[in-house]
Amino acid sequence: MALFGRRNILLALLLLGAAAPFFVNSYQLFVANLIVVFVLLSIGLNILVGYAGQLAFANAAMFGIGAYGTGLLQVHFGLPFWMAFPLGAVIATSVGLAISLPALRVSGLYLALSTLAFAEFTRWVFLHWESVTFGAGGFKTPPVSFEPLPVSKPVGLYYLSLILATVLVVLAQNLVRSRIGRAFVAVRDGEVAAESLGIDLLRYKALAFGISGFYAGIAGGLYSAMLNYVSPEGYDLFQMVLHKAMIVVGGIASIGGSVLGAFAVVALLEGLREVKGVQEIAFGAILVVFILFMPGGIAAFLRRKVRGWDEPVHRAGPPPNPDPAAAARPASEAARP
Amino acid sequence: MLAIRHLKVAYGITEVLRDVSFEVPQGRIVALLGGNGSGKTTVLNTLTGLVKPVSGSITFEGKECAGLAPDAIVRAGICQVPQGREVWPGMTVHDNLELGAATRRDWPGIRSDLAEIYAMFPKLADRKKRYAGSLSGGEQQMVAIGRALMARPRCLLMDEPSAGLAPAIVGDMVDTILALNRRGLTILLVEQNIGVAAAVAEFAHILQGGEIAFSGPAAGLVDNPAVLRSYLGR
Repeated sequence: MALFGRRNILLALLLLGAAAPFFVNSYQLFVANLIVVFVLLSIGLNILVGYAGQLAFANAAMFGIGAYGTGLLQVHFGLPFWMAFPLGAVIATSVGLAISLPALRVSGLYLALSTLAFAEFTRWVFLHWESVTFGAGGFKTPPVSFEPLPVSKPVGLYYLSLILATVLVVLAQNLVRSRIGRAFVAVRDGEVAAESLGIDLLRYKALAFGISGFYAGIAGGLYSAMLNYVSPEGYDLFQMVLHKAMIVVGGIASIGGSVLGAFAVVALLEGLREVKGVQEIAFGAILVVFILFMPGGIAAFLRRKVRGWDEPVHRAGPPPNPDPAAAARPASEAARP
Repeated sequence: MLAIRHLKVAYGITEVLRDVSFEVPQGRIVALLGGNGSGKTTVLNTLTGLVKPVSGSITFEGKECAGLAPDAIVRAGICQVPQGREVWPGMTVHDNLELGAATRRDWPGIRSDLAEIYAMFPKLADRKKRYAGSLSGGEQQMVAIGRALMARPRCLLMDEPSAGLAPAIVGDMVDTILALNRRGLTILLVEQNIGVAAAVAEFAHILQGGEIAFSGPAAGLVDNPAVLRSYLGR
């Protein structure tokens, strides 16, 4: 394993993240937590766009649905955060599954447009269904308590985010190297070939949309708890541009790249906080520059320059083998890429 | 046996296949020929379930397959080697082959089939870790065939396997098709290259204007100038 390979770098980032609360101030902790939330968004979107090749623009809406779901379940039904949070993610997942249905009929630009329309519709609902969503002013969510653990809310929430993100990064890593991940790539690289070989397009597209909805929903729930506040403008088109920027900068179809992309985008976002008007121009420019000059993002650059950044869609070793008799067979065919 | 009866297919209001009937007997090679736009690929896409027929029936080994979903048809034993190969360029040869078995769960069987395909195409064994997109046309065609075989079909539909191959390799393709047939595969071959069709197929059907216009022994085709001229424009 290369010293500066993907696994080591990600592990170092995780250790740094785990130690962060001991040496950072509360603003820096907030930014660190934001990065972790954006890692989740970035990975969810990359599974859908990068691996399954579905050019969807609804990720910010999913993020919002997770945040609104988690917040509103607490406010309207008095559910504790611990119940509202997973339910919010479930709602986002189901909405993700539902919007996969048009994806079976349209693709490319048409899918982009229809999901964009859906995202704007979602925002319209956030804004105008005032009796439920409290309209443009948004609403405050009850503070999350980590009783009986001896941690403050920001630190507790940060560790909760970090643990969830770690689990979900590992899960994503394994997913894209599984048969499911390869089926996603097959759908992306040749839909007709995939379909004629019996790969069920409906199933895999729905799965990709559902997974990305789940990741965005988890991120939304955590984000609402971070801010203790939910309002429609957090989930607009600019948010979507941020998500796209993460995967373009980090690297399309790369889990390691998704993580790095989230770091880069949050760093830039915070760096430009003083000059808010420039943010949108800066992100637009970055997207253009990366698409023109570094289409594979940071991940592709590292893959060329540093050992250990390859991300084959196949794990080393034989595939999961449910048949013990076969596992006992001589492993002549076990050598795999 | 694959039997196609009174198949009618339309894209919107455009009728592509009017009334197509023919059979592919068990263990035989049958060629389907025709000019550009005569509906050959539509026949194959209907057989694999990518296109739903308006009416007519498709039976394979006595089972009705018309209108089934593509994965159900693959499970029924019919698999297509698509036109233009359509390998997944960003995946290794090995992953391409393995994903051909997408409808299967019998891991030991999948592994032994993989080994068998590498034995059949030793070139692929040398290149199993290479990205399929970096292979030559002939090698990609082997990947496409191997990938279809991984579904363990009993009937293989081949859409212009010789198209875009260097003339020197076309002969290899003929040998491959014959070898597949000797292993018991029923093959329906769509070809532009009449030489290839005549070399491998026993029977040929010529599709014109959405109907079968001529049927006969394939070997007779090349020396029948009337047929060549009127149906294939040669």
